[in-house]
Amino acid sequence: MSRAYPAPRLSLGNLYYNGAVALLVVLLIVSAISGPHLFTMDGLAGAIIVLVPLMLAAMAITPIALVGRGSVDLAIGPLVGFLNVTAVQWLISSNVTSPIAVIAWVVCLGVAYELLQAAIIVYVRVSPIIVTLSGYLVLSGINLVIMPKPAGSVPDWMSDWGSGTTVWTPVLLILVAGFVVWFLLTRTAFYQHLRLTGADERMAYASGVRTDLVRLGAHAIGGLFAGLCALAYTGLISSGDPTQGSNYTLSAVTALVLGGTNIAGGRGGIVGSAIGAIDMYLITYVLSTFNFGIVSGFVTQLAFGAILVMALLSNIFLTGGKAAVR
Amino acid sequence: MLTDEVIVRDLYKSFGETKALDGCSFSASGGEVHAIVGENGSGKSTLAKILSGVLHPDSGEVSVCGGRPHSPIAARRLGIATIFQEVLVADDASVADNLFVGADELWVRGAKPGPRRRRAVDIMRRLAEMEIDPNAPAGQFPLSVKQWMVIGRAILAKPKVLILDESSAALDLDATIRLHHEIRDLRDAGVCIILVTHRIAELVRICDRATILRDGRTVATLEKADISEKNLMTLMTPQARQSVLTKSRATPGGAPLGKAVMRASGLRLTVAAEPFDFALHKGEIVGVTGLDGQGQDHFVKALAGLQTVAAGIPEVMDDAQCTAVSGLAEADRLRIAYVSGDRKRDGIFPQLSIYENLAMGLYRRHLVAGCWISKAPILSAFRTEVARFSIKIGSPFNKITSLSGGNQQKVLISRAFASRPRVIVLNDPARGVDLGTKRELYDELRRFVVGGGAVIYLSSEIEEFIGFANRVEVFRNDSLSGTLIGGQVDEQPILAAMFGQAPTEEVVFEDAESVL
Repeated sequence: MSRAYPAPRLSLGNLYYNGAVALLVVLLIVSAISGPHLFTMDGLAGAIIVLVPLMLAAMAITPIALVGRGSVDLAIGPLVGFLNVTAVQWLISSNVTSPIAVIAWVVCLGVAYELLQAAIIVYVRVSPIIVTLSGYLVLSGINLVIMPKPAGSVPDWMSDWGSGTTVWTPVLLILVAGFVVWFLLTRTAFYQHLRLTGADERMAYASGVRTDLVRLGAHAIGGLFAGLCALAYTGLISSGDPTQGSNYTLSAVTALVLGGTNIAGGRGGIVGSAIGAIDMYLITYVLSTFNFGIVSGFVTQLAFGAILVMALLSNIFLTGGKAAVR
Repeated sequence: MLTDEVIVRDLYKSFGETKALDGCSFSASGGEVHAIVGENGSGKSTLAKILSGVLHPDSGEVSVCGGRPHSPIAARRLGIATIFQEVLVADDASVADNLFVGADELWVRGAKPGPRRRRAVDIMRRLAEMEIDPNAPAGQFPLSVKQWMVIGRAILAKPKVLILDESSAALDLDATIRLHHEIRDLRDAGVCIILVTHRIAELVRICDRATILRDGRTVATLEKADISEKNLMTLMTPQARQSVLTKSRATPGGAPLGKAVMRASGLRLTVAAEPFDFALHKGEIVGVTGLDGQGQDHFVKALAGLQTVAAGIPEVMDDAQCTAVSGLAEADRLRIAYVSGDRKRDGIFPQLSIYENLAMGLYRRHLVAGCWISKAPILSAFRTEVARFSIKIGSPFNKITSLSGGNQQKVLISRAFASRPRVIVLNDPARGVDLGTKRELYDELRRFVVGGGAVIYLSSEIEEFIGFANRVEVFRNDSLSGTLIGGQVDEQPILAAMFGQAPTEEVVFEDAESVL
């Protein structure tokens, strides 16, 4: 009674970020028609400067979502703002301007903050969404205490990052570095543990996976990406800003979901989140080429919402009911 | 005898008001199959979980291979592998990942992915007799294959102590025999095997020693020569209930049948399947069985309005009129109750209390002014049902998950009874339920049919039908392949029908007997 189960077709149909890629293709075609400026060197350079922080923010919350328990890191936006204002106000104002010091500061502080969040989730056993929501509120406040209004400047080596005159900027390098880190990570046993913990935490725990350490690790990686994001963001605005960073929370979560990562854990990856972020940027771009006048901001928000719902619905139909949100 | 690998002394563990273990002691050594037997809530699963490091005892001593399993990781390092009662498989992860979960250190891989995939294919071929793509997500396979994945995971861990907690529950007969082969091979290789089971027949066949638990306490440890169904039953059951149990193997009422309550003609489960006719009469207990995945599950779900059929929708006969069971709402209106054996998936509401889980279906029936729930009749129904099945509960408002697996199943069966049904459809309800409870269940069902009800009872354990079912319907290839009535309801004829008349039953039992 030997029965063979058919092997699943390893076609494009099985990739979690399929929907995001399809949307990307459509958006690229539309923007090529309605705003061809994007495909010039200038347009592309400008796009990358704006896009990279968003991509990195979405990538930062991906490992945290992958590890399960519905961990959506709502604190990502204010965290980026926090890293930005502390670097500008404490480090750069006191003339600590070396690239190594600044990069080390944002990355280490990002990792430290995420470890703190993870420790509360793991050891105090508070639901992740509550912890990260509290983090959002607390950091939003702290940012304004540290820097009441946008101020400060960036070191010389960073000052031309935001100008967007060429595609080959250090900002792009940061993004590439992020991808390299991730792809090295996916080849480790740790990444397996991360995915298995997200897919079924009880199973992983009972089988001898150190789920607590895995959760701490996932957050640490998220913190690393948050640091890289803060770096690119500081380059983009060339100053310190206590409030703008907070906007990244909603954008990053939207990009994450668009990219096909399962918020319940276990399925997804940063490639999807990165593509989701590009989708979001292109939606904004395409809408800006139409003239909606004073209401354009609302139209963009509306489009994000509508596309998010459609992405989830298409996921439901593609995966036969077992969709991103369970 | 070899040195003792597992030593447990004076173990205590309680969950809130429920005492799960109340002074439990036993020891087991390498190269033996040691059974842990007891009723629901006697603490067997708790004991298994403590041995595998998932739970911590309140007090007492546990030593496995000279160490204390204080966490699942520590247990794994000591050489313990456990197959839990729940089938712990991550649906989104691949088969290979599921088989090798826990085999790596936090950063260091135990083996390369390539060889791992090959070993995954090999072990699944050996255990499940199937060619399985190791990269396929585990979620696409049926429960029985997932059960093999969990067993494969434990075997691949090369344990010194292997704990099986009701691990044959999701397997059919043929597969259980393969599992027994594996267990014997491991025992001969010097592995200490702790077998937690309700299946007395299984235990008598395969165990070298058995420790009996009652209410969390060790009652006795039997040597092989003393292990018999009678001895086990006497030791397992509290004195007061024994009188009820002894009369269990009474002949089934081959009495004249009442009016038909359900009927289906030309029923096709799938478009390609053979059509068949079926009728259920008042006062009848009909057993439904078959080898794994032969359509019997589909059939009982169709009767309960949970699944659709290709043709010939079952009908309920009521005096003069027939009503088709076209869906769940219709089934509920026609008072057909359904009890699922897969309580984790289709049965319990894990976040709700015992009371809510039981009373779930009653809210709608006790409304004041059409919208306000009237609590008193529901509470009294709850008390009746809890007493009827002697469910061991602390407070009715504790979460259902605070109960042992068997007691959770009792709550689900009570839910069906509480809805005052005309027909009860039970889909393998005795999975993970001990003999005492089974017999209580049989008695209740008998009383139910005497009172004018009718019962459909699916089980993969043939022993369940003997002395209980008036008739057994055997499924094969998505269709009814044989009906056994009254005296024919016995192991051999049912097995013959299950295997499609091939004389396989001799092979099966010779094999099983040859172990001893």
